[in-house]
Order: sequence, then C-alpha cells, then structure tokens
Amino acid sequence: MTRLAALLVFWGVAFATAPVRAEQLIVALSAEEVRITSNFTGTSITVFGAIERDAATVSRAEFYDVVVSVKGPAETVVTRRKDRFVGIWLNNASRTFVNIPSFYAVNASRPLSEVTTPQILKRFQIGSDNLVFPVSADDGAERAGPDDDFRKAFIRLKQQDGLYRSEAYGVKFPGTEIFQTAVQIPANVPVGRYVVTVYLFRDGAMLASDQSEIRISKMGFEQFTFDLAHNQGLIYGLICVILAVFTGWLAGVIFRRD
Amino acid sequence: MQIYLPIAEMPVNMFIIFGMGGAVGFLSGLFGVGGGFLLTPLLIFSGISPAVAVASTTAQVVASSSSAAITYYRRRMIDMKLAGVLVASGVVGSSIGVGIFSLLRRWGQLDLVIALCYVTFLGLVGGLMLTESIRAMINARKGRPAPLRRPGQHNWAHGLPFKMRFKRSKLYVSVIPIIAIGVGIGILGSLLGIGGGFILVPALIYLLRVPTNIVIGTSLIQMTGTMAVATVLQSTSNHTVDGVLALILMVGGVIGAQFGARVGAHVRGDQLRAMLAILVLGVGIRFFVDLVHTPAELFSLATLAGDTR
Repeated sequence: MTRLAALLVFWGVAFATAPVRAEQLIVALSAEEVRITSNFTGTSITVFGAIERDAATVSRAEFYDVVVSVKGPAETVVTRRKDRFVGIWLNNASRTFVNIPSFYAVNASRPLSEVTTPQILKRFQIGSDNLVFPVSADDGAERAGPDDDFRKAFIRLKQQDGLYRSEAYGVKFPGTEIFQTAVQIPANVPVGRYVVTVYLFRDGAMLASDQSEIRISKMGFEQFTFDLAHNQGLIYGLICVILAVFTGWLAGVIFRRD
Repeated sequence: MQIYLPIAEMPVNMFIIFGMGGAVGFLSGLFGVGGGFLLTPLLIFSGISPAVAVASTTAQVVASSSSAAITYYRRRMIDMKLAGVLVASGVVGSSIGVGIFSLLRRWGQLDLVIALCYVTFLGLVGGLMLTESIRAMINARKGRPAPLRRPGQHNWAHGLPFKMRFKRSKLYVSVIPIIAIGVGIGILGSLLGIGGGFILVPALIYLLRVPTNIVIGTSLIQMTGTMAVATVLQSTSNHTVDGVLALILMVGGVIGAQFGARVGAHVRGDQLRAMLAILVLGVGIRFFVDLVHTPAELFSLATLAGDTR
C-alpha cells in the first residue's frame, strides 16, 4: 500500500515537472446527451477535434493519426453455446463475462495496426481484440484471451447487433490539424454513460489523449414506463391488466351487435 | 412507422405488430381460441426476446379473452361457480409457472423449454383435433349423424371424492380434476404466454362433461382471471411485460377478433376445427424443426439482470 502511494507521488511529481506536452487535443462532441424517445431509431454522434501545437514545436512532415473510441456502460453477459443432445440443440456450455462494455466503437484514421504498435494498443485497450475480458470467477479462467471461442462469439454477435463496430478510415482530416468522425449509435443501444476517448498518434507514439462523456437515456414516457416496470412491478402489472380489460370492454361496446 | 418499445428496448414497426395482432385476432375470433399460441411464436420469430414475447402476450390474452367473456356473460352462458374454482386453481398454477419461468431464464433454458412445450402440446392437441375433425367430416359425408353424447355417461373423473355441485352445468363432480386442470393450464399459460383455451375446452368437455354451450364462456373467465394474475406476476418478478407492445397487440387483436367471429359464423364446425388443427400442428412443426435443425449460430448472448442500468 505504501509502495503504491509512493509510486503515485512519484508519478505526480514526474508529471508536474515534465515539460508541457507539445501537442494538445481540443475535442467537441455534436451532442452530450442522446435522448431515447418513442420515435428513436438510432443516431450518430460526430466528434470534432483540433490538434493544437505550442509555438516551440516545429512542424514536422509526418501526419497525425487519430483514434476515437466510444465505450458504453459495463455489463455482465452470459455467452452460451448450443450442443446437440439426443438430436436436439440446447444451450450447454456457457461463459460469463463481467464488466465488459455493452457498446464499443472505434474509428481511426488508418487501420489500427498501421497507427501504432500492438503493445500500445494492448496497453490502452484500443480495438475489440485488445479489450480485457474478465471472466466470472466460477468459470475457471480469470480472463479470456483473444483466441477464446466464447469471446470471439461474443464479439461476432455484438457486431451483428451493431453494438461493436470499427471503421478503419472513419476519422477524416478536413485540415492538417483538424479532424472529425461520426460514430453510429444503433437503436438497440443500452442506456447509460458513454466514454469517448480520442487518442493522438504520430509515428506510432501516443502524443495526447482526451476523454469526454455522453449520456444516453430514455426520456419522458419511455423512461417513466421503464422505471415503473422495474421499480414498481406490481403497480405496472395492475395498470397493464386494467388497460387490457378496458380495451376488451371497449371493443365489446364498439362492436356490440345485439 | 417505427416505435421504440421501452421494455424490449428495441424499435419495431408499429404497423407490422398491429397487423400481427389483427391477423391473430382474426384467427382467434374465427376459431374461438385465445390466439396466444400463435402470437408468442410470431413475436419470437420477428426478433423479440422470448421472455418479453411471452409476458406481453399474457397481457394481450387478458384483453382478447375479457372482450369475449363479456359477450358470453351477457348471454348468461357461463357457470360462475365452476369458473371460480378454475380461476382459483389457475392462480396457483400461474404462480408456479412464473416461478419456473424465472428459474429457467436464469439457467438459460427458457427458450428450450418453451420450444419443447410448444412441440409437445401443439403436436398432441393438433393431432387429436385433426383426427377428430376428419372423422366428423367423413361421417357427415356418408350421411351418418354425429355420435350424440349421452348425458348419463360417466368416466373415471366422476368417480373421485370431494364432489361439488355445479347447477349451471348440471354437474355433480369431484373438484380434484377441476383443480388439476386449472393448475395445469395456469402453469402452461404463464410459461408459454398462452390462454390455454385449446387445451382447456376439450378437457372440460371430454373429462368433466361440461355442456358445450357453457364451456366456452366458462373457459374465457378462467383465461381472463388466470392471465391477469400471470401478467401481474410477470411484471413483479421478471419485469418483462412491454406495455407498449401489449397495447398495440391488444388493439389489433380485439378488432381482428370481431371480423374473425363474423366469418366464423358462416363456416361449418368440423371444417373450422380441421383448419385450426392444421394451424396448431404447423406451429408445432416449426418449433420442432428449429430444435433439431443445426442452427447457423451456435452461440447466444444474455445480459444478466441487475446491471448498471
């Protein structure tokens, strides 16, 4: 514990005394809040940014690379595999992934392998192959490596649902020091806090990064219904029954023949 | 027009769902069944999770069966005492059913059990109905009168103890088979999102000898009561009743049912039963094929409840 504290102090000192970084990122989002209403069919969030250099930094010939990742709220997911059992396909083996992003999008100006080294990608968990997949304690292994079948299936299924996505050339540079990208948010997106991280690279080295947040939440009627159903299930159920009986009665009155 | 379902957490095309409700309502009015056994599979096949499909159909069945029950009540074609016993035991059954539902969902075997139950019950009932209606059709063609039921005829169900008198049905029978039927339908109904009319009506006719003119109204009361309780239980324990989805289905369903009932009045009984049997068998076969056919995707994801939402 004391060693950790010492390390933290050392870090703090090191950062405080280090010279100001040459490049700085200025990031703006098209929306900081996404509202899910009854006509919600998905949306797109545009991330704008500028790379600001101080006067002392000489302009160099190499181009910048920008990677933008959007991570949704963490969730716990059971991945199940079907096996044939007396001729019938049924869920058999399963693996529970704990605290993995429910949504993950990564847009880059070039394919990630060209932007930087695998080590850096791994360290900052950039790209779905480099995310850490912690496994529930009762499933044996502590975390699932990139070759794990369940992990691969998880990513494949998430991609099919549009919840895990990547665009290798998704970040555009309208000017040499200005970039922009659009991240598609599908309609089946989970609600919660989303973290947008922008990484700036040059020559494979990470120069700067910036983090901002988006809130995706249900609004108005959708929020009210969801809350009621989850917190006041009894009242919600009774309302549904009253609604059903009323609909039935009303139909009887309207279509009455005798 | 796309509309976002707050509990299913996905947008659906409102008119497609409305059309589904209407089409199933039409068939249910035509055949005099609840239609839950058609609606739940339709919703599942269209991408709504089985848990939400079953629970929301439960609410829809309340609407369609209460609508019809009111009509029968007005015509005094209901044995209220028999319906009371059936509802009471149905409530017990649906509590058990909802419990099993939550348990299976946690184990990841809900879809399998729903499919297996559909195959078994639809296959059985569809098969029986088909043979019965074909026999009736052959008899009709040969000019033989349909075998009449003798009122004094009794079976094993009438020899059991704890007898109770049901004046409206002109019955004096043991409550044991009645309670057994009620509990059984309650379990099946809440587990599968069906009213269970297509099992309940034959059971009441053949097992208890309830007169045919009273049986439909009585079973409608049982379905309304049992499914209303199932809806509340699903809401409190599984939180999977989507009110928006259910409302669209209800409105489509009750409208469709009115037209179905009008058409049904012009079709012969045995032909109607044969058509219904083929429909029931078809749905059963569809579930069976899904069970044995090698799926394109072996893996599936399930988000655990109680998350950071």
